Amino acid sequence: MRRISRRLRHLTARVLELPQDVVFDLPRLTMIGDRQLYIENHRGVLHFSPDMLKLRLPNGRLEVSGRDLVIRGIWTEEVFVEGVITQVSINGQGAWNG
Amino acid sequence: MKVSWFHAVRGFVTIRIVGDGTERLLGEAAADGIELMHLRRTSRGELECVVTAGDFFRLRPHLRRTGCRLRIVAKRGLPFQLARIRRRKFFAMGIALFFIGLYLLSSLVWRIEIEGNERLTDERILEAARAEGLRPFQWSFRLPEAGELSRRLQLKLPGAAWVGVEKRGTLITIRVVETTEPEPRELLSPRHLIASEDAVVTRITATRGRPVVKKNQRVRKGDVLISGILGSEAHYVTVPADGTVRGLVWHEYDIVSPLVRKAKTYTGERRTVWHAVLGGRSLKVSGFGSPPFAKYESVLRQENAAWRGIVLPFGRIRETQLEVKYEERRLTEEEAVAEGLLQARADILRKAGADAVIKAEKILHRRTENGKVYMKVLFETEQSIIDELPLVRPQGE
Repeated sequence: MRRISRRLRHLTARVLELPQDVVFDLPRLTMIGDRQLYIENHRGVLHFSPDMLKLRLPNGRLEVSGRDLVIRGIWTEEVFVEGVITQVSINGQGAWNG
Repeated sequence: MKVSWFHAVRGFVTIRIVGDGTERLLGEAAADGIELMHLRRTSRGELECVVTAGDFFRLRPHLRRTGCRLRIVAKRGLPFQLARIRRRKFFAMGIALFFIGLYLLSSLVWRIEIEGNERLTDERILEAARAEGLRPFQWSFRLPEAGELSRRLQLKLPGAAWVGVEKRGTLITIRVVETTEPEPRELLSPRHLIASEDAVVTRITATRGRPVVKKNQRVRKGDVLISGILGSEAHYVTVPADGTVRGLVWHEYDIVSPLVRKAKTYTGERRTVWHAVLGGRSLKVSGFGSPPFAKYESVLRQENAAWRGIVLPFGRIRETQLEVKYEERRLTEEEAVAEGLLQARADILRKAGADAVIKAEKILHRRTENGKVYMKVLFETEQSIIDELPLVRPQGE
């Protein structure tokens, strides 16, 4: 049943050309150069230090590494990060790509 | 630290959080809707962040649950500023008073300058300005507008063709352009010069007109001396006659001169009484009791306290009571006559003009009665005997 509903959602997303984050509850990252990073749809902070920010995602984790990282603002679903960002990595145990 | 004006009005706190569960705290705070800003790790591992004053108190329960402790680093924003001001009431009042004073003093008129007047005196212009309320130490917001003010000033100053009032800060400049008036012509309508007294002419000079009388001629009051009609009977012009005519005039005087004179003298005895003055009232301070003199005169001298040229409304009055004595002095008959003549001479000179000269005087009759000397005196003076008589043109000419 779950499999069918997922296929159906997949289908509607393709047919109606809806953004994937809306349909599949995925994080949306907006990055301006290496200075600012805007992350929507996160599930909380796991670790925060000047050179590493780990966030929980609905499916997996997001790691932002860099220098002098500062969280400019944090809300229930959004995080605004500033600093020198060198790397962004997502290691999702993705149900969506399986 | 850049903070929006909204936060500045609400007030915000910079805090440092210590503890193991700081990350968990972030999650809880975000879930509760507490807005944390400018999060960063300090070198000692503390989490520094900025939170609004309202959210700060909502943060408390989360701290306890996650086992974190916090320290306040700085408080900024309007509520904290106000609290600081509340603690320094007099300082704040001083600042307010300073600005109020500055505003009030700068809205006074301090100085009035007048430009461009030659015939009109400064005093007259200032007086007119004062009547319109324009004076030093006047509130400038009580003055009418400059245009209105200059219009009213111009109405008050007939000698001014244009008046401009300019206000620059606390200085008011009144610019005056005066009217150019022609020289007033001497009003001389055609006239005769006639005798003002019965006299014998001693000198006659006509600068304009035709002399009618000659030296040593006897004239009666009202006789024409210098005629204003030139030419023959058929062809003539009328001119304003002018010139000098002097003549011998006789004055008869009845003089009464009393033999007993009353004179006031000071005995030299005096007493000083002091009064204190406050405002318009005075109060006797020393010198009580009725004065020990039968008759006395009081001389008052007020001295007001003054400070740097400003007269203050309190001071003292020094009252000096001088004893006086009225003395009766008996004159001899000769002295009484001389005094009477002296008064008569002064009276003649006052009536006949300053250039009159008394040529001769003669006592015609003298008798002493009831302590007085009665005299009849004839004075002969040489004086100006001019009077003017306007020439009226006959109708139809």
